[in-house]
Amino acid sequence: MLINNGFNEDKIQSPLRYIWSIFKGKSIAVVAMWLMIILITTSILSPWFMPHSPLTQDPESMLLPPYWAKGGNINHILGTDDLGRDTLSRLFQGLQFTLGGALTITFFVAFLGMVIGAGAALTKGVKASVLHHLLDALLAIPSLLSALILITIFGPSYTNCLIAIGLSLLPQFIRASYIVIEQELSKQYIVALQLDGATKTRLFRYGILPNILEPTITILNRLFTMSIIEIATLGFLGFGAQLPQTELGSLIANSMELIYLSPWLVTFPGLAIFLVIVIVNIFAEGLRHAVIEGEE
Amino acid sequence: MLSFLIRRLNLLLITALILTIIAFMIDRTVTISHATTTLDQRNYIAQYFSYLWQIINGNFGYSSIDQQGLLKRGLVFFASTLELCFVALLFSSLMAIPLGLLAGLFRNTKLDYMIMTIAIIGLALPVFWVGVMAILLPSIGGDILPVDGNLSLVYDIPVVTGFLLIDTLLVTEQYGFFAFIDRVAHLILPALVLSFFLIAEIVRLTRHSMTMVMRSNYIQTAYAKGFSRTKIVFTHALKNALPPIIPQLRLQLSTILSFAMTVEIVFNLNGIGKWLFISLKSGDYLVLPAGMLIITGFILIFSIATEIVMVLISPLRRGSLYVDK
Amino acid sequence: MALLDIRNLSIDIETAQGKIRVIDKASLNIVDGSIHGLIGESGSGKTLIAKAILGLHNSNWTVTADRMFLGKTDLSKLSQKERRQILGTEISMIFQEPSSYLDPSQKIHTQIESVLPKKTMQQRFRRILSKIKRAHISSRRLQIKELLHKVGIQNDVAVLNCYPHQLSEGVCQKVMIAMAIANNPRLIIADEPTTSMEAVTQSQIFRLLYKLNQLNNTTLLILSNNFANTSGISDYMTLVYCGQTVESGSYKQIMGSAMHPYTQAMLKTMINNEEIYEHKAQLYTLPGNIPSSNQLPIGCRLGPRCPRAQRICVKNPTLTIKKGHSFRCHYPIKLS
Repeated sequence: MLINNGFNEDKIQSPLRYIWSIFKGKSIAVVAMWLMIILITTSILSPWFMPHSPLTQDPESMLLPPYWAKGGNINHILGTDDLGRDTLSRLFQGLQFTLGGALTITFFVAFLGMVIGAGAALTKGVKASVLHHLLDALLAIPSLLSALILITIFGPSYTNCLIAIGLSLLPQFIRASYIVIEQELSKQYIVALQLDGATKTRLFRYGILPNILEPTITILNRLFTMSIIEIATLGFLGFGAQLPQTELGSLIANSMELIYLSPWLVTFPGLAIFLVIVIVNIFAEGLRHAVIEGEE
Repeated sequence: MLSFLIRRLNLLLITALILTIIAFMIDRTVTISHATTTLDQRNYIAQYFSYLWQIINGNFGYSSIDQQGLLKRGLVFFASTLELCFVALLFSSLMAIPLGLLAGLFRNTKLDYMIMTIAIIGLALPVFWVGVMAILLPSIGGDILPVDGNLSLVYDIPVVTGFLLIDTLLVTEQYGFFAFIDRVAHLILPALVLSFFLIAEIVRLTRHSMTMVMRSNYIQTAYAKGFSRTKIVFTHALKNALPPIIPQLRLQLSTILSFAMTVEIVFNLNGIGKWLFISLKSGDYLVLPAGMLIITGFILIFSIATEIVMVLISPLRRGSLYVDK
Repeated sequence: MALLDIRNLSIDIETAQGKIRVIDKASLNIVDGSIHGLIGESGSGKTLIAKAILGLHNSNWTVTADRMFLGKTDLSKLSQKERRQILGTEISMIFQEPSSYLDPSQKIHTQIESVLPKKTMQQRFRRILSKIKRAHISSRRLQIKELLHKVGIQNDVAVLNCYPHQLSEGVCQKVMIAMAIANNPRLIIADEPTTSMEAVTQSQIFRLLYKLNQLNNTTLLILSNNFANTSGISDYMTLVYCGQTVESGSYKQIMGSAMHPYTQAMLKTMINNEEIYEHKAQLYTLPGNIPSSNQLPIGCRLGPRCPRAQRICVKNPTLTIKKGHSFRCHYPIKLS
């Protein structure tokens, strides 16, 4: 009924642009975003600009403390380990494996989980019911246990560790996205879309996807956090990356016997994991708040 | 109510059956790939049913190291894990629920930001690393609180319930309360480390729930009735905000158990996590299906129990019982 | 005599795009013992005005008013505690969608009982005595029963033992009304009390409100978006458009000699069967649609849609009052 529209200036900012404008106002979240970008690029590019290779052993300088501590050397900012390898370089290599692994897992699990979750929510009958019971059963297995089981079957290696963690986190993500989509499906505008004769894909693309932005951010954030922690935990337990690959968890495990000689070696990788998760969480929280405010 | 129970039990049975199938699959894969025993030549379905029959009879297989029944050992270890989880849960609920309620009540204030910062830090600290650091810090670690094992080796406690806190209380005529105190001292640090994550989780859940309740319409009514904020919180908000946390926490149970298993390995506690870890390292793969069945069995029974409790305490849920969804 | 006297009430809300003036100099004058209809489209700010009267606003609102008096008490200068004493006893409120305004985890009985005046020590003592004597019905129970009968709920015992989700919207609204009248307040604000109800229940609720006004001499402020529905029972009416009160007067003045173009338009939208419409003719509407709250026009907010608007309408018109009939318009109709 646009017969008598008195307003020619009914243009409203597109939702994404609007959310972005709110997000820009949250300084902490923007800082977190830049830190995240810097972290990812530096860990990818670190082999090219780090002064020491993570594998170079230097018998001259073993077990150096960080440069600010007594006996530290400016050449090795965060010190060296028992074979004289530079901690900072190893940290960046570890970050590359941990962060890269977590991002890969998040990406694949999010994609698969979204597809299966949407499939479960949009179909009814035997298929959905079988999926449900299977999910119920799989969800009862703690993710660490299922990762252990899968690694026992595949054999320990970095790739297998990623696959195992991905598979062990998948049921949780499917369930989470299923619940979110199911809640959205019960709303009135979805009925309106269905009455318009929308196909399942169209329903999902235009009806559901734009409206589940906020819970999806929460779920993705959780997925990412959990996968980082699990990669590190499995690495720590010795089921993850095998030498000479270093990953933050296995870095901690390898330095365990040196814990009283050089506590720095255990401290730094843990702090690195902590910082990565904090940064990502702050960024995700900021984004989520921006989405909530944008939708109101 | 009865029909509800039957329906729930039905679902439980189906889920349990699926889990035994998974356990069977793991069992076969492990036996084939690490062929230790002679292979069964029958077809898989027949094998599965004999496996199922064994499990129903409580025979989860025998350890390839010391030839002991896996079920009994697993249950004893699992009891110690549960003890750890329970103490951690108790401690973190006491800490986190008030914090979460405050954060929800004073949303977007400095207090809220402070509490949420604590929550994010708690979530971001990797549990095993915190454990290592707790052992490392000599002032709390080695000197005052013990960091190795369930109990000092001095005490010889017979296994009655498997829960050491109870078992040590049963032998008071032999050791007095020293064994119990020793057990508590052994639990404090691991439980504290485990609470880091739990506090973060519970604070988030409570805050969200409280915010939702304080925004709802009936709180407006209460304001319009002229009630003070304190009265509203205590008469209306708490009663509606706290019950939804329980099922949410139940969904986190398997994550909590994951973390508890890691903590056990770090602190050298004799729980199910350490049992599985040690057995896997020494090539005893049959513990995997047994351990899985014990843990998942507990989780299933626990979820049914929470659901029944929810129905008993929340009138809204009771209403939804009669509507077949 | 005015029970509620509000002059130039403005509400600003802090949003992501800065402050938005949602209520712009609204004035409301409610005569003691009357039924006053506050009519406006949804989103025009009726509920905001009601919440400002009760003081139920969030922290990101700024409420300013030249005058805001209930009888002799200045509502804008009340402390939190004094305000709480007034709420429920002097003013009470009824909401739309009542079932969501009742606590889902408490039985109706508990909720009604919480509104009743506090028990004194003497009453408690008497109650213990009556328990000893095995008298089954306590005085409080009787009080609640009486209240429910007043609002037309016969099977009081069944309703009292229910949770809100077990009751229909109509019954919930009656319970809300019972809670509102429990302390015999001087003013009841009813915020769209009949939305999402069936026609029969709607008329029941309206009859109930009318009876309350007639029997107890309770003043009623009824917020509604339905001109036809409310005009039947209200003595006075105020029209709101986009947060501005455009016209206010007695029922006769509004229906007979509307001054403001918006009122005129609203009157024209009422379908009465006497007029004969041409077949397939378009029903009358104002051109355009309601502007969103972040794109409000300056001056008279009806301006861009108003058929009589001229250049001066970008300035906010002042309030003109003639024989209790007040309006804000630069070019009012029939002003001779």
